[in-house]
Amino acid sequence: MSKTQTKQAPVSEAKVTVYRRMKDLPSTHLLGSGTAMCAGCGGLEALHEVYDVIGAKSIFVNAAGCMTLLSVYPFTPFRGSWLYTAMASAPAGAQGVRDALDILKQKKLMSAEEDMEVVVLTGDGSAYGMGLSSTSGAMERGLDFLYLCYDNEGYGNTGQQYSGATPHAARTATSKGEHGFAGYKKDLFSIWTAHKPAYVATVIGTEPLDLARKIEKAKSLKGPRLIIAMAPCPTGWNFDPQHTVEVGRLAVRTGIWPLKEYVDGNVVHTKVPHERVPVEEYLKLQGRFRHLFEPQRDETMLAEIQARADAYWDGVTQ
Amino acid sequence: MFRIRFHGRGGQGMKAASRILGNAFFIEDYEVQDAPRYGAERRGAPIFAYVRAGREPINERGIIRHPDLVIVADDSLVPVPGAGVMSGVDARTVILINSEESPQVWKQRLNFEGHVFTLPVETADRAELRFIGATCVGAAARLLGVIKRESLAEAIRQELADLGSDMVEINLSKALAAFDSMQAEEGRVTPAVTESAADYRPPDWIDLEFEDARASAPAIHAGATSVEVRTGLWRTLRPVIDHDRCNRCWWVCSTFCPDGAITVDSEGRPQIDYDHCKGCMICVAQCPPHAISAVSEQDAQAEEAEVAST
Ligand SMILES: Cc1ncc(C[n+]2csc(CCOP(=O)(O)OP(=O)(O)O)c2C)c(N)n1
Ligand code: SF4
Ligand SMILES: [Mg+2]
Repeated sequence: MSKTQTKQAPVSEAKVTVYRRMKDLPSTHLLGSGTAMCAGCGGLEALHEVYDVIGAKSIFVNAAGCMTLLSVYPFTPFRGSWLYTAMASAPAGAQGVRDALDILKQKKLMSAEEDMEVVVLTGDGSAYGMGLSSTSGAMERGLDFLYLCYDNEGYGNTGQQYSGATPHAARTATSKGEHGFAGYKKDLFSIWTAHKPAYVATVIGTEPLDLARKIEKAKSLKGPRLIIAMAPCPTGWNFDPQHTVEVGRLAVRTGIWPLKEYVDGNVVHTKVPHERVPVEEYLKLQGRFRHLFEPQRDETMLAEIQARADAYWDGVTQ
Repeated sequence: MFRIRFHGRGGQGMKAASRILGNAFFIEDYEVQDAPRYGAERRGAPIFAYVRAGREPINERGIIRHPDLVIVADDSLVPVPGAGVMSGVDARTVILINSEESPQVWKQRLNFEGHVFTLPVETADRAELRFIGATCVGAAARLLGVIKRESLAEAIRQELADLGSDMVEINLSKALAAFDSMQAEEGRVTPAVTESAADYRPPDWIDLEFEDARASAPAIHAGATSVEVRTGLWRTLRPVIDHDRCNRCWWVCSTFCPDGAITVDSEGRPQIDYDHCKGCMICVAQCPPHAISAVSEQDAQAEEAEVAST
């Protein structure tokens, strides 16, 4: 693993952020209520926080997944347009929308002020798997767009089958065996940054200030800007919906979900858990990992998951 | 053929209950179909599942329009039109409902002549909600009268094995207790006569004029129309803010509420929009001074009705 740098709270250091403290976060919200997402959805939590920063002047291009159900005719929670695409092709859809807006501007049918942010919204099944090729193409072409992946670590909409984002040992509808999922979570952050786009960041709804600053920064840049939001999923991960924030916070404090950003060729960690909580505190809250604790503790697997988190942070220069 | 329809909310185990009942029929050598409805609905939202079981091959498909037995895990669903609890019910349908209220109250309320049985299950504690399915399926098996106690137990063991032996035991004890409690009502449900295809009457079709795609395409011309959808109906627990205790923090509750159902007024006071709050209880878990508490939605509504009537 290449060494990456770490600084405390460096997000938007160079530029002045409007989000200096928690009180600067919006207290009224733009995204409409009444969507079909599950009670306690960590993806919706992240999206509503993101939308407050992006604003209504945006067009969402949404690949098939749970969030397809945000907009079911005649209802939509967005204040701007929404376009639905197949699972693999949201970034290609975004190219079409961006081109159309550019042509309208060129023909003076739309002013520069009326221009809109084109936002791809997909789950991890698309982002880590089926949609990776069209995302790669969009970055290659330098498409000016924002990509928001809500990562619930599986194919949530169809009943939580495993995806390229599923962590090792998690039980899913297609990894029901004694030891859960045999594969490992793909490092999408590194795959994306290898394309050298304008901006890449990881966020989580349970760290709203870090999230707001990153979206604010992404909004201020041009070119491909990609965000992965870890999305604790009560239904697919099997925990009580009231624990969504607790699960998310532990994902960060155990070091399982590193909060970081890539800009100007550098990776910077924006929140370093200096005294990392043991990973089992995170795992034991979730039914998908229950087999690591019952009927008896699987010490080997717990140690392996801990070692992987430790190895990640050993590779980060403090 | 028996036609059984299960109504519940996502997360209450109705899908598992329908599988258990289907499997129990199968163990009794029945031909079986069991399926949850796969739709746009999520945890907390109304869902339904159905089971068909007969001695002959089953050719009928799709949702059950005229059920012999309707099982309702959550009585707050009855008045929700979208849940369709009473759809296609007639005097010979048996209704099994999880409710604190008596069968007489339900008969009167629904203006219903047939049999109603109730199963009082504590819903204020969400941890208990997970076992509603087991209780319902146990009672249903006895009402059907063709499923043996051992077959029910075997079906539960098979279907829930993944959850570990502790969970299997709890579910077993709930289901068998419910089975035993319905002894006097064994065989109340009678299978409907299977209609023959020859008697099928097509519905009254309506012809719609062909429209240009630009006129008929589903375009939405306004923003945030989703607020018309009352997801507050999903709620079984209600968060209530004690404004004396709220210290007007940086609106933790409003930021974390996934549904944007908590807004903060100009004085920094959070207000919950009960038309849309789905009852996830994240605000209850996160409020730093513990100013938000969870109350049973049923109790809250009963109290409101009382206040309104005085
Ligand atoms: C090419 C293709 N294969 C399968 C499907 C069925 N499908 C719809 S949503 C979905 C799951 C998508 O998973 P993810 O992108 O992680 O989003 P989530 O459902 O978790 O929100 C699948 C497999 C599809 N729509 N298109
Ligand atoms: S989280 Fe608690 S203290 Fe903060 S605004 Fe909400 S009710 Fe008040
Ligand atoms: Mg997913």
